[in-house]
Amino acid sequence: MAEYGAARDRRPDHLSAVPAPPTDVGDLLRGIARGDEAAFGRLYDLVAPRVYGLIRRVLRDPAQAEEVTQEVLVEVWRTAARFDPSRGSATAWVFTIAHRRAVDRVRAEQAAADRTLRVGAASVDTPYDEVVDEVSGRLERQQVRRCMDDLTELQRQAVTLAYYQGHSYREVADLLETPLPTVKTRMRDGLIRLRDCLGVEVTA
Amino acid sequence: MNPTDVHALVGAYALDAVDDLERAAFERHIAECAACRTEVDELRETAARLADGTWSVPPPRLRGEVMAAIGRTRQLPPPDAVPGSGRSGRGRWRRYSVAAAAAVVLAAGTGATVYAIQDQRVRDQSAIASAAELRQQRTQAILSAADLVVRTEPMDGGGRVTVASSAAQGASVVSIRADRAPGAGRAFQMWTIRGTGNPVSPGVLDPGEQSAVRVVDGVPGNDVFAVSLEPAGGSAQPTTVVAEVPLT
Repeated sequence: MAEYGAARDRRPDHLSAVPAPPTDVGDLLRGIARGDEAAFGRLYDLVAPRVYGLIRRVLRDPAQAEEVTQEVLVEVWRTAARFDPSRGSATAWVFTIAHRRAVDRVRAEQAAADRTLRVGAASVDTPYDEVVDEVSGRLERQQVRRCMDDLTELQRQAVTLAYYQGHSYREVADLLETPLPTVKTRMRDGLIRLRDCLGVEVTA
Repeated sequence: MNPTDVHALVGAYALDAVDDLERAAFERHIAECAACRTEVDELRETAARLADGTWSVPPPRLRGEVMAAIGRTRQLPPPDAVPGSGRSGRGRWRRYSVAAAAAVVLAAGTGATVYAIQDQRVRDQSAIASAAELRQQRTQAILSAADLVVRTEPMDGGGRVTVASSAAQGASVVSIRADRAPGAGRAFQMWTIRGTGNPVSPGVLDPGEQSAVRVVDGVPGNDVFAVSLEPAGGSAQPTTVVAEVPLT
């Protein structure tokens, strides 16, 4: 690995006889927008595990997660030409589509009573302990984990309940027994703190 | 809801924690506020980073299925297909879609009217939420009853119907989960049957509604709970019965 990297570093880019396939998601999306199915295959390999993992975490049900993952990836193919790099990174664009679809599915399925029945029947999920555990225990990216630790307890719970469980801010307010305006504010300032900690910038 | 209130939703919006009405109002707001857009973009970018740790390997067959699906899927053209529009095409496309979303929800009107309507809709939603809370309490009372009996039967065409009954509460929590939604203009209808009498319907699901959980009074004491497929709005007597749950 190190040798390969070193060899590449010594080789001037304009001399490479066989260019390495692009592994930047943005480059791949540009190819996909032109109908390049091979580029889509590479994008699949790069993002499918995270897309599936995210959707599965929100939906819980592996079969449904598979279905929604397929919908999302087909949507990426269909709308690739609409990706606008001035509004954010290509990966974020993909995960935004994935998250929105997962949450739409949750909302379509669930009335308040619906959830109660599922909890009553299965008696497993506590409202948020599990997610907090997952977030603090399994985040692969150390940076995100470290930054999550910098949030206040309420900020972290508000952000994780919404993002990983697909709860609306009203539901989050109920779950945390916190007034609605406070929850809205904590979601916003929680994300702002996370943004500053992660050094996220979108430059048009 | 004035623009300041709308902007307070920026965090919830970035986390997809708003409902459709609020989303439309918010997107209208950022279409009018270029400075706000940077904050939205950055918070969305930040929220997407939360997906970094959610790695999970999908079943291997999914790749083939997705590749086959894209082979059948027509792609959208670039937004700047209109000559001479350059990059602004994307912005214009967004404004159209935002305007369209707002129009669907709010029809035409001045900004003030739009927000007033929005506000009323949100109040209506709060009323709906309180009703949902009452229903939830009732649901919990039934599900935690000492005499709870739960029965499940499959549905024709896939899915299942679960009836959780408490005679002491005089009601059941019914869960209908069909694998496929009823076709356009069709709906699932619920029935109770006692002895040789005619089936009585305690309610109809919304047209096209695929799954639902309802509290249904008076189910205990009947012999059978059934679900049928009907024209939207329901029928006087069941047409096509798709599930029967014996209650005795």
